[in-house]
Amino acid sequence: MEERQYDLIFICRPDTPEADIDKVIATLESTATEKGAKIESVAKWGRKRMAYRVQKLHEGYFVYMVIKTTHGEVVKELERRLKVADPVIKYLTVRLDEELKRQEKLKRHRERRAARRPRKAVTAPAAPVAPSAPPTEQSAPTA
Amino acid sequence: MAEENAPQQQSHGPSSGGMRSSGPGGGGPGGPGGGRPGGPAKRGKRNFVRKKKVCRFCVDKADFIDYKKAEILAPFIQERGKILPRRMTGTCSRHQRWLTVAIKRAQNIALLPFAAEL
Repeated sequence: MEERQYDLIFICRPDTPEADIDKVIATLESTATEKGAKIESVAKWGRKRMAYRVQKLHEGYFVYMVIKTTHGEVVKELERRLKVADPVIKYLTVRLDEELKRQEKLKRHRERRAARRPRKAVTAPAAPVAPSAPPTEQSAPTA
Repeated sequence: MAEENAPQQQSHGPSSGGMRSSGPGGGGPGGPGGGRPGGPAKRGKRNFVRKKKVCRFCVDKADFIDYKKAEILAPFIQERGKILPRRMTGTCSRHQRWLTVAIKRAQNIALLPFAAEL
């Protein structure tokens, strides 16, 4: 199975100490590595205001991580862990590899087109300049 | 008044038929009625030039709309949290499709509201 990439975001209660958040991250990392997944990056976005109230809280501590794996079941396990973790109030996993692949494809396509365009641009102005001058002269006397 | 009404009856008689003949009995209704056929061509439609809306993501050559950047998505939702239609924002169909997905993801992780807070 090909490798998949997931985005995993979870929100902790704003009053949880940093140590507890680190603990949650550590458990996620250990379960991920156990199941053969690789955590590419972890970013703490810190305390942010949420767009709506979650469990009567307006703020949350956001943590964002990127996971790469060939086994999709890892996500299930990670989400289970997040569900039972006390400080976590909300989480979201998004599969992104297909969109990133599409992005790559479009980018390649654009670069190819950009590479081709200059040649066209060079030939295009050169062609009209030479023939355009004689026809106008010829057409005027005949008319 | 009589001079004004007379040519109108002549000119519009064949087109509007018998219905018109009762109108010119009163001079008042005949006057504005006479102005109507000529009006629309000259000043009926207010011809203002609508500015062509351009897809913002096409301008930026966006291949991917990131759901994590709420500040990019925010202009495309209403105050109440609804996603704005394409005809309002000028987004092209492809980018609108990506945009809706991105907005819905952002809503799920509380980066954007589902509805306005009370």
